[in-house]
Amino acid sequence: MTPISLGLITGLALAAVAIAAAFLPGVPVRSILSGVSTAAMSAAGVFTGALAMAGATGKLVVPIALPLGPLTFEPDRLGGLFMLIASGVGVLVSLYGIVSVHGASASRTSWIALAVFMMGMQYVPAAADVLSFLLMWEAMALGSTVLLLAEHASRRRVSSAAVWYSVMSQLSFLFILAGFAVLAAAAGGTTFAELALVSPTSTAGLTAFVLLVIGFGSKSGLVPMHVWLPRAHPEAPSHVSAAMSAAMVKMGVYGILVVCVRFLPGGPAWSGILLLTLGGLSAVYGILQASVSSDLKVLLAYSTTENVGLIWLAIGASVLLGAYGLTATSATSLLAALLLTVSHAAFKTTLFLGAGSVLHATGERDLDHLGGLGRRMPWTAAAFGIGCLGAAALPISSGFVAEWVLLQSLVHGTRLNGAAVSVTVSIGMPLAVAVVALTAGLAVLTFVKSYGIGFLARPRSDAAAGARESHPLVRVVLVVAAAIVVLLGLMPGPLASVLASVVAEDGARRPGIVDTIGMAGVSLPGLGALLDPIALVILAAVVAVPVLAVTIASALRHPQRLGASVWGGGGERTRPRMQYTATSYAEPVVRVFDDVLKPSRDVEVTHAGESRYLVQRVKFSQNLTDVIEHRLYRPVLSAADRLGVRARVIQNGSIHLYLLYSFAAILIVLIVAVL
Amino acid sequence: MSNSVFSELIGLSAGALLLTSVLTVWHRSQRASIRALAVQGFALAALVAVVAVDRKDVELVPVFLLVLALKGLVLPWVLARRPGVVGTERVRIDIEDESPLLNPVATLVAAALLGMVAYAVTWPLVASSPSAAAHAAPVGVAMVLIGFLVLVTRRRAISQLVGFLALDNGIATVAFLISGGVPILLEFGASLDVLLVTLILQVFSRQMRATFGDTDVGRMRELRD
Repeated sequence: MTPISLGLITGLALAAVAIAAAFLPGVPVRSILSGVSTAAMSAAGVFTGALAMAGATGKLVVPIALPLGPLTFEPDRLGGLFMLIASGVGVLVSLYGIVSVHGASASRTSWIALAVFMMGMQYVPAAADVLSFLLMWEAMALGSTVLLLAEHASRRRVSSAAVWYSVMSQLSFLFILAGFAVLAAAAGGTTFAELALVSPTSTAGLTAFVLLVIGFGSKSGLVPMHVWLPRAHPEAPSHVSAAMSAAMVKMGVYGILVVCVRFLPGGPAWSGILLLTLGGLSAVYGILQASVSSDLKVLLAYSTTENVGLIWLAIGASVLLGAYGLTATSATSLLAALLLTVSHAAFKTTLFLGAGSVLHATGERDLDHLGGLGRRMPWTAAAFGIGCLGAAALPISSGFVAEWVLLQSLVHGTRLNGAAVSVTVSIGMPLAVAVVALTAGLAVLTFVKSYGIGFLARPRSDAAAGARESHPLVRVVLVVAAAIVVLLGLMPGPLASVLASVVAEDGARRPGIVDTIGMAGVSLPGLGALLDPIALVILAAVVAVPVLAVTIASALRHPQRLGASVWGGGGERTRPRMQYTATSYAEPVVRVFDDVLKPSRDVEVTHAGESRYLVQRVKFSQNLTDVIEHRLYRPVLSAADRLGVRARVIQNGSIHLYLLYSFAAILIVLIVAVL
Repeated sequence: MSNSVFSELIGLSAGALLLTSVLTVWHRSQRASIRALAVQGFALAALVAVVAVDRKDVELVPVFLLVLALKGLVLPWVLARRPGVVGTERVRIDIEDESPLLNPVATLVAAALLGMVAYAVTWPLVASSPSAAAHAAPVGVAMVLIGFLVLVTRRRAISQLVGFLALDNGIATVAFLISGGVPILLEFGASLDVLLVTLILQVFSRQMRATFGDTDVGRMRELRD
């Protein structure tokens, strides 16, 4: 038995233990045992995934009593990577869950669902045939739906979010199923090895490609299939939203990577353009909605759409460039996609778990009611800050390295040996660069807002003022997650080399794509670019330390006078209400993107007595809606509603009418039989 | 029994069956409909007797008795028996007259059309079999269709029961004409079923009367949602 099959069996066994432990009475016992077992299962997944990623082989065959052949789990290098991501997130999330759950989220059902969810997520990338893939995919969807529904009794929005989520995930499943069916029919088999034989330019191949793009795109939360994301992520318990955002949407990415790299490699240029466009649209739209949202978790959910959009954009660029023979750049784009995936998993886990801690400590998700948490929750604030660095793609974070690689490949991608390869590429790549630049700018604004308004300044509500730092285990989890973000940001070289080998066809490390240089820095010899974050940090320190030293010394020499504000008339005049809020901070963005965001504002002025000039209070409210949801989904939904109402005419409760149906049916059958 | 006598007798009873079927559609009065149904039961029993004599089948004798008792006597009696209970007082309630959804003339035209349809659809059967009984099979199918017509067009619960029983008689007629009846056990079971359904629906219509004051099944719409 190979280590991989051992790891896979251990994982399943631990999942069974976690489910069994969930039946135990008593919330603390249940939470600890089930949570630890789930974490252990994920740890087994980390082990298996890492082995598979390093190139080890091995499989687990589960014979089932169906006329479809056994379930086969045999992770390859790419599968190993995603297994590692899913289970790495799984370890952190399960540990976080042990201490953070309460009420309905700590019920037996929830713990069972968590174990099923995690198991499904880990085994989707391990699957080596369609049936096991879809089975695990459904386990993942089912588990997450149940987890999302857990708190439906306490909040009304939960059930509506669950309806949206389950409808969208079933639609996505439908498209994936159809896509696989088309592929399997063309290939004459359901194992992934057989599916890879279908020609990428055949009608069947292209049909399957489009179907799978819709299916996996919907699971990844791409525009316009993103509507479930900003509903489901905020309403789910925080550790579940972390798992959904950091790991589950990655399964959509895994799906499309498998399609583009393994099943249908070398697709036509337009398939690349399709992915590029979808990704670019999602990136811009996602970050735009995130930048104006003042609900912390909604903001993070939209940011997920943005990040996944960037990943798809990178994959699309890779397909497009590959179609024009730009092999090195294409491979670099693919590497950027993987780096983005890993880095998003790391920082989004940190951010969602951090947001969970804030929610737990204050009961608030609305940034307009937060503030001043930096002093009250230093650990959470530090971890969240590092997560924000990652999400805003600022240096020393993993996000920076990933976007740097992406930009390198896009900027250098238009020319082959100095000659332009095609008009499409010459136009498409600069546009993609512009999209990435716009999203990077808006992302900085978004995360400056979420950190600055949420953690700095003074508390804007009593709840925020009374916040306490979270449980030690939560702090440990947050610190580990944040440390991964920084580690990947400072030492990207080794990871980049491994990732490059993951998607290489022969699995060999090709020195032409990416190298490790200096102090674990990364270099792209094909594009002549290199980045050594540690060296840069040292360089920055060399410059900054003397400046800081001089500043501090001079500050000490001239101590600041305290206690008198210049125009304050001797009194303390600033109040928390005078600070920027999340809404006011994002107001310029709303103004600029007025046409897309369609804000509806309401200013209500109450006058003091009869006076026209004395104002007692001013109430401002702003409502931002998802324009895609309004323009695309609402009409479809209301049409379906109208159709449903009209269809009730044929079922109006009259016995005579029902009898008439049978009568007509009999007559028709008789007459048809004679004819 | 000679062939010609047999076919005469089959024709006679089949004609009686069809005529009574049409009468159940045509009559507005529920009492008259029930009476027509009773006559239909006797005609069906007569058909069974003719078939039994022709086939010299002893097994058909108890079937004949069963049909005679159940369809000729018991079921019409159950339908006609209407001591309603209103409140705690037992009062005799007159059977209301039917106000069908389709007027009598239209109903008769529809019945005629259904008869033609029945003849058309059973044509292959008639053409392939030389037996006089099989030639009368369209009558059974027409009875089924006319019974259904009654079900669809009548408002009162009891009239609908009449339609249901006429439909059932049609099925039995087809069975006897084509294959000399179904095995006795099956016949017995089916009859018991019909009796049970009738009794239940009878109770049910009494409940309806207690709730709504009459037995218009259209009122059942209010029970929806």
